[in-house]
Amino acid sequence: MFQTLKTVIKRGWVNFKRNSYLSAAATGVMALALVLFLGLLSLQYLTTEIVISLENKVDISAYFKTDAPEDQIANIKAELSSRPDVVSVNYISREQALADFKTRHAEEALIQESLAQLEENPLEASLNIKTKDSSQYATIAQFLEDSKFRSSIDKVSFYENKNVIDRIGRLSGSIKTWGLTATLFLALIAVLVTFNTVRLTIYNQKQEIEIMRLVGASNWHIRGPYLAEGGFYGVFAALIAMVIFYPVVWLVSDKISGFVEAVDLLAYFGGGAPQIVLLTVSFGVLLGVVSSSIAIRKHLQI
Amino acid sequence: MIEFKKLKKIYAPNEVVLNDIDLEIKKGEFVSLVGLSGAGKSTLLKMLTKEEKPTAGQVLIDGVNLEDIAGKAIPYFRRTIGTVYQDFKLLSVKTAYENVAFAMEVSDATEEEIAKDVPQILAIVGLGDKLESFPDQLSGGEKQRLAIARALIHRPKLLLADEPTGNLDLVNSYDVLKLLVKINALGTTVILATHDNQIVNAVGRRVITMDKGKIVKDQTENGKYMI
Repeated sequence: MFQTLKTVIKRGWVNFKRNSYLSAAATGVMALALVLFLGLLSLQYLTTEIVISLENKVDISAYFKTDAPEDQIANIKAELSSRPDVVSVNYISREQALADFKTRHAEEALIQESLAQLEENPLEASLNIKTKDSSQYATIAQFLEDSKFRSSIDKVSFYENKNVIDRIGRLSGSIKTWGLTATLFLALIAVLVTFNTVRLTIYNQKQEIEIMRLVGASNWHIRGPYLAEGGFYGVFAALIAMVIFYPVVWLVSDKISGFVEAVDLLAYFGGGAPQIVLLTVSFGVLLGVVSSSIAIRKHLQI
Repeated sequence: MIEFKKLKKIYAPNEVVLNDIDLEIKKGEFVSLVGLSGAGKSTLLKMLTKEEKPTAGQVLIDGVNLEDIAGKAIPYFRRTIGTVYQDFKLLSVKTAYENVAFAMEVSDATEEEIAKDVPQILAIVGLGDKLESFPDQLSGGEKQRLAIARALIHRPKLLLADEPTGNLDLVNSYDVLKLLVKINALGTTVILATHDNQIVNAVGRRVITMDKGKIVKDQTENGKYMI
């Protein structure tokens, strides 16, 4: 078995070398398909990160009247935390709010002076709430409205930000849907183009296949080396794709980070390099072997 | 050894290529099959390798009806028959050695057997010094001798030669013919389809003449080319 596999791979390699023009063409097309595949991976990563960073910017806050008792706030916080759609609830006390405000405006003397002249802290305590999905903020806002401690709540920021929250919700939704659709569509095109190239390569050798059948070769004797050859297209295409892709990532990574802060392409693809290389090579080999096996089927009917 | 019984082949819609062929060929015979292009010679040979299926009638080899050989068994069946064609049908990306070796590999011969038999058979057909040449680097005569070497590697009991000299000059044609006669002398049944009268007359064995899908003449001994 092992011996046969070795012979098949060896023959596939010899064919790959001897059909050098055809091999180069098929490998080149496949390399482009794989670069596209890697590009789509980057796009997926990019859109996911953009959506996450947009969603992170969205939250709602409930501001409590300055005389609201702390235990009521703690009560509401506990109720919110126990909801399954809530990711985090952050309590900011009046003192904390003031401290934050002071740090934020540390450079501005006028504000500092005005604060110093005040006798009482004018800022309200608040609960800062994040949900799993931006569409759930409306429910949270409603929940706060219906709370038995409604009288202690001064305002809920949702109503001020409602438009923005809705728009971001819609935007991230369509980025997710369209990103995925475009990815699948382009991946399909890449697979079809590769398949067609391999099909033409094999079609070109249909006379050879015919001869092999005439001298009594069984289907596996004919198919094996072609599958191995398809695998070699995949391996070399993956290596070429890497050689093109990584320098490009290195060049554009900084520019993209400048645009969306949370995105660091170089770290993402650099850190995951072994997995990415393995994934691309496996995908290339699979694409080559499957394309060859489908393309050769037609020529093997006795 | 070979029997054609009421064999008929009709291509759609109604082109009759073989019409009621009844023929028997004995083991060890050298048969020349002659006739104009389109007489049905090649189709008759293709019936023997199961490249074509009869529309009606039967083909038997050693008593086995070829219809009973199922799809998966066809490769094994073909290894028992040697075939030589006018256009050589060599694998262009393989060397002379690899072309013959391929025919052995498909029947699961070991590397040792291949290394022993292939140079031997190539030496017999006079290509002992061309092991590493590709078909493109060989002359017409050499290509045909290589094809014969490949056909002989399984020691077939039957050798089919379809216009083997059609692409060759006179000298090379006689070389190939001599080789076929030698193979026949060693016990292999040979069927030679050709329209080369000099070749047929030089062999002078059984000559079967075909015309429009029928056998019109069968000279069992000292046959001459007659149409």
